[in-house]
Amino acid sequence: MGETNKQVPVTVLTGFLGAGKTTLLNRILTEQHGKKYAVIVNEFGEQGIDNDLVVDADEEVFEMNNGCICCTVRGDLIRILSGLMKRADKLDAIIVETTGLADPAPVAQTFFVDQDVADRTKLDAIVTVADAVHLSTQLSDHHEAEEQIAFADVVLLNKIDLVDESGLEVVKERIKKINPFAKIIHTTKCGVSLSEILNLDAFNLKRILDTEPDFLTSDHDHEHDDDVTSLSFVSDTPLDMEKFQDWFSKLLQTKGQDILRTKGILDFTGENDRYVFQGVHMLMDASPMGKWPEGKERNSRLVFIGRNLESMNLKEGFENCKSA
Amino acid sequence: MKADSNKFPELNKTKFENRGKEFKLGIPVTNAITIGNSVAVGFGDGTVRIFRSGQISEVIKAHSGVVLSISKDGEDILTGGDDGRFLKISLDGEINEIANFGSRWVDHVTAYNGSLVCTSGNIVYLWMPNKKEPKLLEHESTIGGVAFDSKGRRLAVSRYGGVTLWKKDYSNKWSSSNLIWKGSHNKVIFSTDDRFLVTSMQENQLHFWRLKDKTDSFMSGYGAKVKSFAFVYDSKFLVTSGSNEAICWPFDGNGPEGRKPICLPYVGNKLVTFVEPFPNENAIFTGLSDGSVFLSEIEKSTNTIIIRSFTESEVTTIAVTEDCSSILIGDIGGNILWTSIWDEEEK
Repeated sequence: MGETNKQVPVTVLTGFLGAGKTTLLNRILTEQHGKKYAVIVNEFGEQGIDNDLVVDADEEVFEMNNGCICCTVRGDLIRILSGLMKRADKLDAIIVETTGLADPAPVAQTFFVDQDVADRTKLDAIVTVADAVHLSTQLSDHHEAEEQIAFADVVLLNKIDLVDESGLEVVKERIKKINPFAKIIHTTKCGVSLSEILNLDAFNLKRILDTEPDFLTSDHDHEHDDDVTSLSFVSDTPLDMEKFQDWFSKLLQTKGQDILRTKGILDFTGENDRYVFQGVHMLMDASPMGKWPEGKERNSRLVFIGRNLESMNLKEGFENCKSA
Repeated sequence: MKADSNKFPELNKTKFENRGKEFKLGIPVTNAITIGNSVAVGFGDGTVRIFRSGQISEVIKAHSGVVLSISKDGEDILTGGDDGRFLKISLDGEINEIANFGSRWVDHVTAYNGSLVCTSGNIVYLWMPNKKEPKLLEHESTIGGVAFDSKGRRLAVSRYGGVTLWKKDYSNKWSSSNLIWKGSHNKVIFSTDDRFLVTSMQENQLHFWRLKDKTDSFMSGYGAKVKSFAFVYDSKFLVTSGSNEAICWPFDGNGPEGRKPICLPYVGNKLVTFVEPFPNENAIFTGLSDGSVFLSEIEKSTNTIIIRSFTESEVTTIAVTEDCSSILIGDIGGNILWTSIWDEEEK
C-alpha cells in the first residue's frame, strides 16, 4: 500500500445491527463540511441515507485463487472502488458501511490484495459502532461482533446514556480485552467530531510509530479458546532478521486464520532503520521507516490480536528471534 | 499494412499527432465504440462525445455519473452508467432511457440485432427486439462481463466461480449451462470463430474454454490484472494487456495449450493497459500506462511504429473506424488523439 496523496481515503464502518451505523453515517453526511463523500451501503441498511452519491452493494466475499486459505476479498468493493475512481469529480473520502454480521477482514484484505484498489485508494481506518447496552451479549453470541471489535481502530461506544457507570466499565473492559489498541469514544446518538473518525490514516505504517503507547504489554487472563484476545511482546535485545522472518512467515502461514491483526516495530541487529509492519490475517505490509530517533531507547515491540493465541507459543517464538 | 520504420519513441510529436486533432479535456476517458466511421467515447463525467472525420466532436450529456459501459445496437450507442441508467443514444444525440435502476449501477451493456442486454448486480436484463419488458436472467453473484457469440444464439455471462452460458433455442427460449473455474471472472469474450470463450480473472491471469468439448485451461504469468484483451486476425491470436509486453496467445488449431505466446516488447518497459486489433490484419494497437500507443505486426515484431508519444496518463481506450481510416486514443487523464491512420499518399 503506497502513500501518495492521490489515494482517496476509505473509512470502513462496522457494527452490529441497531448499534447506530446509519445514525453516524447520516451525521457525517449532513454536517457542513464542504467535502464530497461517496457512501457504499449494503442492501440491508436500517434506514434511508441522505446523500447524492450512495452506491448499493451486495457484500460479496471472494476467495482469492492464490493458495492462501484465509485470503478473501470483497469483490463488490473492487468493482465499485474502481468505478468511483473513474469519476471526473474527485472524492474527498469514501465510506463503506458493512452489514451487521460482516467480518471486517475481507474488506481490509481487499486493500492489500487488489493492486488497482491499493493504487488509487487507501484504507483509512475501521470504525466500529458498538451498542453499550447490548454489546456484551452480542460478543458472547456472535463471533462477528468480536471480529468487528478486534479489527477496529476506533470503537464508538454508543448509547452510553442507557447504561449506568458500572455497566459502562464492564463493556469497556470487555472491548479492551479483545483489542487494547482501539481508541474508545463514548457517544450518545453517535455524537462525535468527524476529525475523530475520518482521515485517521490508521493503516499507514508511519502512524504505528505515532501510537507507541499502544504497545504497552497487556495483561491477560486465560480465556476460552474461542475468545479473541491480544498479546504483546517487548524485547530490548535486537532481533536477528533472518530468524524473525523465518518464524513470522511460518506463523502467519500456519496460524493466519486465527491471527486477526498484527502490528510491530522491530529493531534488527546490524540495521540502522526501524522496521514497521502490520498485518491482517496472512497478509502483511512492512517497510523500514527511517532511523531510530537519537537518544531514544531501541527495542522491538509486537502485538497480536486473535483466537487461540495461547496455543501458538508466541513468547517462545519471539524469544528465539533474539540475536545470540 | 505499411509499417513506417523501426523508430524509437521521441519526445517530439509523432506524425499521427501532427496531422490529427488533440483534445485535453481533463475528464477520464472510460470507453469507446466504433459506429461506422464515427467513434462514440464515454467519459467519467457521464458525457458521451461523438467523433466524426472532419467534424468537431459533439457532447451528449448522457449520465450524471461515470459512463461505465458502452456498446452499440446497429447505428445507436448503448451506455450503462453509475447513475443506474441504461440508455440508447442515436448518433444525432437523441437519448432514449431503456431502464433506470436508481442507485444500482449498470455495469455492462451489449446487443445483438435489436436484442438489448444490460447487467446490474447479479441480473442480466434482456430485451428481445421490439419487446417492452425485459427477460431477467439471474445469477448467483455479481456479473463481471457479458458477451454474445457471433450469431447471437449464445450469451456468456462471467461471474464468481465461472461462466453461465445461456443458449437460445428456435422458439426463443433461453436455457443455461455452467463453465466452472474457481475464482472471480471479469470480462468475457467469444473468439471471432465462436470456438473459444475467454475470461480475465481477479488474479493476474486469463481462463479459456474450448466450447466443443468444454476443455479449459489458463494463461498466466502476468504482472498485473488483464483488463484488455481481444482476438486478432480471425482468432489466430488472443492479444492481452497486463504485462510490459503485449502478450499474443496462439488460438489457431486447438488453442494455446502447451504453446508459447508471442511477446511484443515496447520501449520504456511500461505496462500495457489497452490492446485493440487492427481490423483484418495480423496487427495490433497497444496502449501503455504512460499514454504512448504503438502499432505492431504480431509475427514481425520489428515492424512497430509509434502512433502517440507519452502523456503520462494510462491509455483506457483505442478505437479504429470501420474503414480503418482513423483511430481514436483516450486516456485516464482525459487526453484524446483523433487522427487518420494513413498519409494521403498511403491511402
